[in-house]
Amino acid sequence: MPLFMMRFTVRTDRWATIGGYITGFALLFLVWHLAATYLVKSTLFPPPGPVLARGWMLIEDGILQEQIIASLKRIAQGFLLGSAIGIPIGLAIGSFKPVRWLLEPWTEFFRFIPAVAMITVSVIWFGIGEESKVFLIAYTTIFVVIISTAAGVGAVGRDKIRAAQCLGANRWQVFGLVALPATVPYILTGMRLAMSNAFVTIVAAELIASNDGLGKMLWDARLFMQIEDIFVALVALGLLGFATDRSFRFLIRAFAGRFNATV
Amino acid sequence: MVFVTQGADVALVSLQGVGKTFSGRTGAWEAVRDFSLDLAEGEFFCLLGTSGCGKTTVLNMVAGFEAATAGSILLDGAPVQGPGADRGVVFQGHDSLYEWLTALDNIGFGLRLRGLGRAERREKAEHFLRMVGLTGQGAKHPSELSGGMKQRIQIARALANDPRMLLMDEPFGALDAMTRAVLQGELSRIWAETKKTVLFITHDIEEACALATRVGVMRRGPGGTLKAIVPVDLPFPRERTSDDFMRVFRDVHALIHDEIHGAH
Ligand SMILES: Nc1ncnc2c1ncn2[C@@H]1O[C@H](COP(=O)(O)OP(=O)(O)OP(=O)(O)O)[C@@H](O)[C@H]1O
Ligand SMILES: [Mg+2]
Repeated sequence: MPLFMMRFTVRTDRWATIGGYITGFALLFLVWHLAATYLVKSTLFPPPGPVLARGWMLIEDGILQEQIIASLKRIAQGFLLGSAIGIPIGLAIGSFKPVRWLLEPWTEFFRFIPAVAMITVSVIWFGIGEESKVFLIAYTTIFVVIISTAAGVGAVGRDKIRAAQCLGANRWQVFGLVALPATVPYILTGMRLAMSNAFVTIVAAELIASNDGLGKMLWDARLFMQIEDIFVALVALGLLGFATDRSFRFLIRAFAGRFNATV
Repeated sequence: MVFVTQGADVALVSLQGVGKTFSGRTGAWEAVRDFSLDLAEGEFFCLLGTSGCGKTTVLNMVAGFEAATAGSILLDGAPVQGPGADRGVVFQGHDSLYEWLTALDNIGFGLRLRGLGRAERREKAEHFLRMVGLTGQGAKHPSELSGGMKQRIQIARALANDPRMLLMDEPFGALDAMTRAVLQGELSRIWAETKKTVLFITHDIEEACALATRVGVMRRGPGGTLKAIVPVDLPFPRERTSDDFMRVFRDVHALIHDEIHGAH
């Protein structure tokens, strides 16, 4: 295929994707509208119109942005901290048998204690300030990242390592120049999974103990029966999660697309 | 084809009574038994045998990937301890290429390990890229190359490291017949140019006869071993339809035929 045609296909692909997303969301709001106005007909399930109007009001007052930024900041901090700890541990577990024997009980133990179950402990330890939330996000990130990183190291093809050895590579060169780059797609995929966990965790944590954030907004709206506010928070969560995951996938494609076509 | 070997005792590689027994859950399996072979500097030796007779096992021991459980393997008179840059390996599949590097950087990987500067590396890699007929394709990543191109890159990567010998495990096994014939021709040419010693594994009789200066036929396992060695004293490039070629082909075929249809 000539180059100009290839570029053409790529471009139409992108427009098709964007068009698909827009249509998909429009459809979602339409179904919501129909369900709320003709099926449920309850004040407890408002149609999108009033919800979006309320959302716009909250944006104009600067309240919605404040909650979103509060939540996102916690996610970003905990996520980066968790990844920074999880990646080296995962690499060590994948590379050295004794480390695996030593640390696998830890990872296998803690990964079955969900972050949500740790909320009480973390509030007791860190109070209801930022630390408890960052701790929870980091906690939920670490184990997912460790496990996928370690799996990635284990999945490095035997021939890749052998090829390096018979080109004269020592242990450290095999690690740094072969095992590490070959593991990057696994690390990024683990981080993407961890990111969706982080969204679950932050809402739960803010519901229970926080002064701001989208979770807190949900809680307050329930207390004061502001049904539109609840839906504004839900829509905001969905859109934020969607946008974050897409950007992450875009980053993975940009950095690691040539590693592995399936990422 | 005339061969200059300075006396029989200067073999580059010498396998003496080499054996390999795998022990696993299903018990011990003697894959190779009493395998002896001397490879002279500069020769192209094809190891031919049916599937599962132990060819890869022999190559892995010479490469140093696996230790022999009996006998000894000497390289330049010193026992093989493990893999090293003196033995370049071309693997059967192309999983051994690094997807995150360009073709050129794959070729220059060994040079990078030795700390060569960027410019020098590039220049050498370009030279070997040309040698395997991929001029101008150096910026592509392995995912953008065909199967045949990937095998060319593997060969160039091994050669760029300037090893004493090349170990090749059915490098063209997964290619279509036409591509295989082309690559066989190029390998022959490269071998003549670089004068590397080659240990080449195949189960294709024609391929062995077209490339080798000697063909070693293996007896099937358990306890696979060298059954016979057929010298191929034909000039290069080989005329595959010539009577001489046919004669060699028939000789080798007869040896292999017994293996396929023998007691089983
Ligand atoms: N790691 C291993 N553990 C146990 N048995 C093995 C192992 N590797 C090879 N074998 C056995 O040794 C024998 C020889 O295997 P090898 O891979 O050397 O065959 P081959 O001649 O290269 O065959 P092919 O042409 O199919 O590649 C086989 O019977 C195989 O089952
Ligand atoms: Mg084999």
